[in-house]
Amino acid sequence: MAFGACLRTISREYRLNVCITSRLFSSPVKSTASTLPSDAQEQFNEELERKSVTPVDYRFTYPEFLPDPAFARRNTIREKLERMDMLKRRSQIDIPEFYVGSILAVTTSDPHSGGKPHRFLGICISRSGCGLRASFILRNVIDHQGVEVAYEMYNPTIQKIEVLRLEKRLDDELFYLRDALPEYSTFPQDMDPEIKIDGAAVPVNDIKVKLKPRPWLERWERKNLKGVQDLGLPERFYKRAEELATPWEKYDLMKQYRATIPEEEQAEIFSEVYSELHNMEIARKKLKKRKTFIKPKKSG
Amino acid sequence: MNQADVSKLISKLRINVAPRHRNLKNPDGPEGRLLKLRKTVTGLIKHERIELNYNRADEARGYAERLISEAIRYGDCHRTTMELADFWLLEKQLVHKLFKVLVPRFREYPISYTRLLKAPDSPGIAFKRAVLELRGNPYPPLTVDSTRNRALLHNVLLDEAAKAYRAQKVTGVTSEILEKIEREHPSSPAVETQESEVTKSPNISEKSGVLQEKSSEPSYEKT
Repeated sequence: MAFGACLRTISREYRLNVCITSRLFSSPVKSTASTLPSDAQEQFNEELERKSVTPVDYRFTYPEFLPDPAFARRNTIREKLERMDMLKRRSQIDIPEFYVGSILAVTTSDPHSGGKPHRFLGICISRSGCGLRASFILRNVIDHQGVEVAYEMYNPTIQKIEVLRLEKRLDDELFYLRDALPEYSTFPQDMDPEIKIDGAAVPVNDIKVKLKPRPWLERWERKNLKGVQDLGLPERFYKRAEELATPWEKYDLMKQYRATIPEEEQAEIFSEVYSELHNMEIARKKLKKRKTFIKPKKSG
Repeated sequence: MNQADVSKLISKLRINVAPRHRNLKNPDGPEGRLLKLRKTVTGLIKHERIELNYNRADEARGYAERLISEAIRYGDCHRTTMELADFWLLEKQLVHKLFKVLVPRFREYPISYTRLLKAPDSPGIAFKRAVLELRGNPYPPLTVDSTRNRALLHNVLLDEAAKAYRAQKVTGVTSEILEKIEREHPSSPAVETQESEVTKSPNISEKSGVLQEKSSEPSYEKT
């Protein structure tokens, strides 16, 4: 129990927050889309076409483009400016598609590492924030010590973000890995990227993680986790979890509505950024095709 | 900053949605609030017009609109939508009414499906009253429609303004035609005669102030 408590406090201390300083009023984004037609009617038609062609899946691949649904934090102009800034940053560095459960390696410029870039590899346990404040946490176990690093996606000091394994998990957040056996969070720092098939659906890893014995950081039996094995707790824990459960919330239509951006608004937002993001995707695919040489490994 | 939930696509509601829900004081807490609202929504779907306190009416309106928009989007063969309808409508024949009567009625509506009207206050009652109804209900309307009676002053003024606008447009069109003719045939005798013919009609209309419309004159309704 003492060891578990020790691990808990140290892993919190090791969480490094890499801060960003972004200017809201940056210079306008250079349009990579085709030249705009001069006629207003043609422009309108083009926009209409764009809206109907926008894939609905963009809300999964680029969720940080959607604003915070809380009414008090909505500001259309600020959101538009943020999206412009986000596209500008994405034109400088490739921020790939990833999900909670994917394994990433992030290279940042570190002032304390004597000019060398610092690379950290880990499993993404959460994604949060919207707009330029979008962030994710990577977790790994290094020298038997759990380490988590929180990165902000649009941080200009990030040099490279590589996705080594693109997959999803059964849960949206993997904070239970802090209370799981260390083998579930350990990934070698020199891991090779796994080959991705273009166009295939993102695989779902339905692994069931084994947790360490209690005490835990949270009461996992109350969280309806799908990616953990049977917790093996006495009956009273599950009874109390049932007492505190709120099964009526899945029927609370207005609560759901206030927590989402409606489809029409989503289509508007993504139609704004669609052409630029689509061009970036095409450029990325072309670059991939050029880099088909795989380093030969010694056999025998 | 919280990320928006992207697991479900929801249509935008065409009513004003307050930033926060009302608690609607209930001895059973949030669960009790939802159960009470369930009764309200069931009553609205059953009777299509109900009178109740304003706060509960406004809350129930959002839930009713959401229920109808989900039913329109997914239809009755969708399991989650059926479960929702099963929860929200306590009388099961109303589930059939929702999918078979209300969905076809509201499918093409570009506006909200419900109407929330403020009811008159009563001297002893502190709470504001309201009437919540579905559009297209069979009862006589509660509000007076002042757009039909063309004898009312505001309608008289609007009609005259519309006529003046149309007259102005016609003169604009004729001057465009004149310019076009001048550009194509700069100095021809035919142009002068055409000009004189064309300029006659706007002069006539300017004098009388009213253009002869092909449609019949609007009838004046007696209130």
